[in-house]
Parts: sequence; C-alpha cells; structure tokens
Amino acid sequence: MKKYVIFLIVTLCIFLTGCEEKKEEIVMVTEAGFAPYEYYSGGEIVGVDVDIAKRIAEKLGKKLVVKDVAFDSIISEVKTGKSDFGAAGISYTEERAKEVDFTINYAESKQVILVRKNSTIKTVDDIKNKRVAVQLGTVADTYLSEEYPSVSLVREKKFLAAIQDLKDRKVDVVVMDELPAKELLTDDLIILENPLLIDEYGMVVRKGNQELLTAINDAIKEMKASGEIEKMILSHMGVEEKEKNETIWDRFYNSVIKDQRYEFILEGLRNTLLIALGAVMIGIFLGTVAAISRNIYENTGHLRILHWISKSYVSIIRGTPSTLQLMIIYYVIFKQTDIHIILVGILAFGLNSGAYVAEIIRAGINSIPKGQWEAGYSLGLSYGKVMRGIILPQAVKNILPALGNEFITLVKETSIGAYIGIVELTKASDIIASRTYDYFFPLILIAIIYFVITLCLSKLIGLMEKRLNNARN
Amino acid sequence: MLEIKKLKKKFGSKQVLKGINMTVEKGDIIGLIGPSGCGKSTLLRCMNLLEKPDSGEVIFEGDNLIDNKNFETLRRKIGMVFQQFNLFEHMTVLDNITYAPVKLKLMKKQEAEKEAKKLLKEIDLEGIMNQYPSQISGGQKQRVAIIRSLMMKPEMILFDEPTSALDPEMIGEVTNLMRKLARDGMTMVVVSHEMSFVKSFCTKVLFMSDGIIKEEGTSKEIFENPKDDKLKSFLSKINSY
Ligand SMILES: Nc1ncnc2c1ncn2[C@@H]1O[C@H](COP(=O)(O)OP(=O)(O)OP(=O)(O)O)[C@@H](O)[C@H]1O
Ligand SMILES: [Mg+2]
Repeated sequence: MKKYVIFLIVTLCIFLTGCEEKKEEIVMVTEAGFAPYEYYSGGEIVGVDVDIAKRIAEKLGKKLVVKDVAFDSIISEVKTGKSDFGAAGISYTEERAKEVDFTINYAESKQVILVRKNSTIKTVDDIKNKRVAVQLGTVADTYLSEEYPSVSLVREKKFLAAIQDLKDRKVDVVVMDELPAKELLTDDLIILENPLLIDEYGMVVRKGNQELLTAINDAIKEMKASGEIEKMILSHMGVEEKEKNETIWDRFYNSVIKDQRYEFILEGLRNTLLIALGAVMIGIFLGTVAAISRNIYENTGHLRILHWISKSYVSIIRGTPSTLQLMIIYYVIFKQTDIHIILVGILAFGLNSGAYVAEIIRAGINSIPKGQWEAGYSLGLSYGKVMRGIILPQAVKNILPALGNEFITLVKETSIGAYIGIVELTKASDIIASRTYDYFFPLILIAIIYFVITLCLSKLIGLMEKRLNNARN
Repeated sequence: MLEIKKLKKKFGSKQVLKGINMTVEKGDIIGLIGPSGCGKSTLLRCMNLLEKPDSGEVIFEGDNLIDNKNFETLRRKIGMVFQQFNLFEHMTVLDNITYAPVKLKLMKKQEAEKEAKKLLKEIDLEGIMNQYPSQISGGQKQRVAIIRSLMMKPEMILFDEPTSALDPEMIGEVTNLMRKLARDGMTMVVVSHEMSFVKSFCTKVLFMSDGIIKEEGTSKEIFENPKDDKLKSFLSKINSY
C-alpha cells in the first residue's frame, strides 16, 4: 500500500513540476456572452474588457490569453490560479471580495429593468411579487435575493436565456446590465427609465497578488484619465449591425453561415468527438482493470489492494454527480497546472465512464453460469485460462449492448464540459446564440449532430453484435 | 488412489459434511446415494476441490490436495462430469474437447484433434464435431462432456447425476458409454438417483445421510440386505415410486 502511495506522489510531483512555469503568458478569464464587455466576433473574444486587458498585458510585456468559462466559475478560476485575472463586468460584492482581490473600478454599470412593451410594470416598485429572470451569480441575482424577497427569481445560466424567458412570457421582468441590454434590445421589449441599482465593475486577481493588482490598477487609472475606456465602450456599442431575422433563411444564415459561425460547431464537434473517443478508451481500460481485479480477488484472494481500490473507485464515481467530478478534477486536482483543457475532459469523462464500464463487465462476467467455471477448473485450467478462454468470450455477448449504451450516454454527457470552458457542441451553440440572440438553429443543429453520432454508434454496436452471433451459428 | 479423511464442510451455519472417511481403490466404481440435500454433490466436489473443505484431508495418489500449490496439476487427473453438462457454449464440439489439453500444452493441436476424432468416432459422434452445444441433443452433450474429460487421461472420473437432466430415451446412450469406460478399467465415483443403474453398475455403494457415510458395502449388500434404518426407509421410498 505504502509503495503505491509513494509511487503516486512521485509521479504526480514530476508531472506537476514538468508543467510549471513557462509563463510568458497572462491569462484573463471571462464569460464571453456579455457585449460590449466581452463577446465573440469572427471566432475571437473581443470587447471592452479584452481591450483593457491587452493594455495590461502590453505593460507587463506578456502575451494575453483569453479564456471563456461559465460566469459562476470565474472566481474559482482566479482563486486556484488557473487564470491570472478575471474581467467579466464583475461587480464588487463582499462575498466575492472574500475570495479574490478587486481592482479599482473601470466602468460604471446600471442594472436596468427590461419588460415587454405592453407590460403593466412601469417603475422599479412594480417588480414586487413578479417573476424576474437574472443571470446566475450576477449582482442582479444577489441584490434581488436580498432586497426583494417577494419576487420569484429565475436564475438562468445565461442572460440570453433570461431574455428568452421574458419573450416567452415565462417571466415578467429581466434585470441586467444596461449596455448589453441595449445591445440586444428588440422591438418587443423596453428598458425602464430608472435602473434598479448602479454599481461599478472591477477586475479580480488572486488574493495577495499585489504585483498584478498594482499593475492593473495603474493601467486602469491611466486609461480612465485619458478617456480611453469611454472610447472603448462606444467603439464596442452597436458594432454588430442589427441582424435581419425575418425569414427562416435569415435566421439560418445568421446562425450558421455569417462570420463563419459554423466553425464554432465544427470545433465543438471535433472536441466532443475527441473527448468521447479518448474517454471511451480510458473507460474501457479502467473498467476492465477494475472489474477483473475484483473478480480475481473474489475468486483467488489475490490483488487485495487493487480490488479494494477498484471497489472504492466504482462506488465513489457512481455516487457523485459527473459535473462535480469534472470540476473537482479541474479545479482541485489539476489546480495549478497548465494541462490542456481537452485532456482534462478526456481524463474526467474517462474516469467517470470507467466506473460504469466496470459494473457492466462485472455483470457480464456474473451472467455466465457457474458451471462454465467449474467445467474449466475440473479440466485443470487455471483461473486466468478459464477467464480468458471461456468466461470473457461468452460474457462479451452480454457486455456489448450495455457497453454501447454507456458510450452513447458518454457522448451526450460531454456537454457538461462547458462548465470548465471546453468548447464542445453545446458550448458552441451557446456561443453562436450569444451573438445572434437566436437559439433556434444552433440548438436544432447540434441536436441533429448528437443524434447522428449516437445513431451511428448504435448501428456500429448492432453490427458487432450481429457478427458475434454469426460467428457462433 | 483417493482417500478422504475426516472431511468437514459447512455452508453458513449449516454443517453439510460432518467428518467423511472413504477410500477409492483403482478400478472401483463407487455409487454415492442418499436423500436429496444430504451433501452428495458437496462431497463429490470436495474430491477435486471445486469446493474447499473446512478441514480434513483429500489424498490423491499420495498427495494431499488441500493447500497444495500443485493442486491444479493434480486435478487434471480427476475428471468430472456434471448434471448440466457444462459444455463451453461458444466453442464447437471439437474445440470443447481439445481446448484444455492444447491450452495446457499437453498435446499439439493436430494431435489433440486426431485423438478427439478417434474418440468421437468410437461412439458415432464424429458427425457433430463442428456443431455448437446449442445445436445438439442432451445425450450427445453429456457424451461429449465425458470425452472432454477423457482427453486429460484421468485416473478417475467423478459423475454428478450424469443422466438426471436427460430425456428418458437418451439415458441409455450415456450409461452405455459409462459401461464401456468401466470395461476399460476406469475408476469412477457416481452420484445418482437411478437406483437400478447404481445397483447394476457400481461395485461399491456408499449411503450418505446426516453428513456422514451411514453404510457402505457391495451393491448386493446395500440393496438386498440394508442394515441402517435410514437406508431402509430411503430404499423403501425409492421403490414405492
Ligand atoms: N454453495 C452453497 N452455498 C450454500 N449452501 C449450499 C451450497 N451448496 C450446497 N449447499 C447446501 O448444502 C446442502 C447439501 O447440498 P448438496 O448439493 O451437496 O446435496 P445433494 O446431496 O447433492 O442433493 P441433491 O440430491 O438434491 O443433488 C444443501 O442443503 C444445500 O442447500
Ligand atoms: Mg447434488
């Protein structure tokens, strides 16, 4: 046992030091669906925050890397040091200030109230007892939760979804930042004159990172004084001409073809397939090792430790949500390493799948009647020979269909990779919708893609099953 | 050839074997009879260690099998035939028969196949050698199983109710093969509920009850002159069917 632990620690250390410090890069983390502060344009993340960040990087003589994650992951990205600073129109709150250090303010933001044109809601006071949608984790969310306990809050992951809720009459009000609200205002919506509150945006750095904090503060002071920030805001307002969304063809064109938006889908597809494929291989490997080691222990008493590890592994993985596992692997285990995010995805999903594969293989082995073992043993065959030559070949027939299901599930599960910023299919459609304000085609398109992938998979499995049966008869 | 001393085995809290002593000499054909659930199969399975006894000894040609590092090699010499045949479902008849000797490097594949075909031919089964177990009859399956165990050139063969899963018209083909083995001098231990078969086939009969061997003797002694009360009532119940 001791030996295993030491070995593990040593390899981990080598791995960690090997990955450390080649930094000429400075990483900004954001959630790129918040024009004009950050948004995608032609495949790149741009916006006010990015412009400011570029200046900061320039001053520090480093190359800027912009990373796109879910808004509620930004603080932990910075806290764990996976990113150097966060800039995402982040309002100062006391809770956040406990986790990270805030820079001075660089922009003022009004949290405004959006309603449908014919709405009876005319003033701030009218929102009491109404259904209000906000983006999860934003200042509007915290503020309304505390100050307006009477409203029923709908917390969406994206404020675009909040807007959609408003249009679909699922809510009566959306509260969000003024600038993006103006960006996506459509004819059927209006912004109330008085804002709900006014707050100020700062950037965040890891607690105690005084050097970076000072550098950013200096840059912001300078740019504020010279009026540059204001200019940046203006330059990012209304740059995208309002897209015609009248005919279905317009909508398709805007969602897929314009600005080569299909490239997001292609990238998403590539990453989804890459992660699924890698995870399947790791899953089969881990699952086989776990299932076989358990069986060896149960039949021969050897491999006690490996059996124990396998058993714990399977029950821990099966007993926790996969999203959580993904985040733990990314934010806890690979906390301060530069490991490629796709690799994290492959490892996390592989680890997850392995536990289910182990159970599938175990069930497959157990489905073979005991008499097959006994006949093998009575001929003087060893455990290994019976397992390989007699049990497994028969078990495969029972394992294959279940394994096929597991992989179909796995392909779909990769969609939670967006949590840690992997641009897989679902995230890709999100990115497109954040530019077009139109969810229809991105969602339908990726639904079709998922369906085609899983359909191919089940056909493939079916084919293999058939060949297996033909070989027998 | 095989000696069992003070053999004990329990499942959970149930003491199934309470100290069995018995000896199998070369050429013996031993019938093991007794009421259902008395532990006949358990005893038989202890003889080749498919079931690990709690205590006692199983001595096969001078070696105690229990806690013996070599027991897998020793066990090759003790064949076993099961009630449910237990043919390997994913292999043809021929592969079933040749798999173990080839895997254990006792024979070359060609050699094993030649031997298997010879044995199949002797009982007119060479026609089914390329079929899978699911395609042949129960009687054929059990005869293939017997040949499979013969390929290991065993010193003795254990039979656990070899005919009780068979349709009546197929019983004969299996018992005929067993009689042929007997003529060739094979040592056998047979668990069976077919009293007429045991009576005519076995040279020695052991009656088990309450986890011990209650009575043993020649078939004539056991069936025509039983002494133990339990044996008497067991035989009278059987005969009243
Ligand atoms: N693996 C096991 N686990 C628990 N109990 C068992 C096991 N195998 C057998 N037994 C029990 O041990 C007792 C003896 O079983 P065994 O199969 O040896 O009887 P048997 O004499 O062969 O009976 P039958 O004539 O019905 O085949 C039975 O009560 C049975 O339920
Ligand atoms: Mg039995």
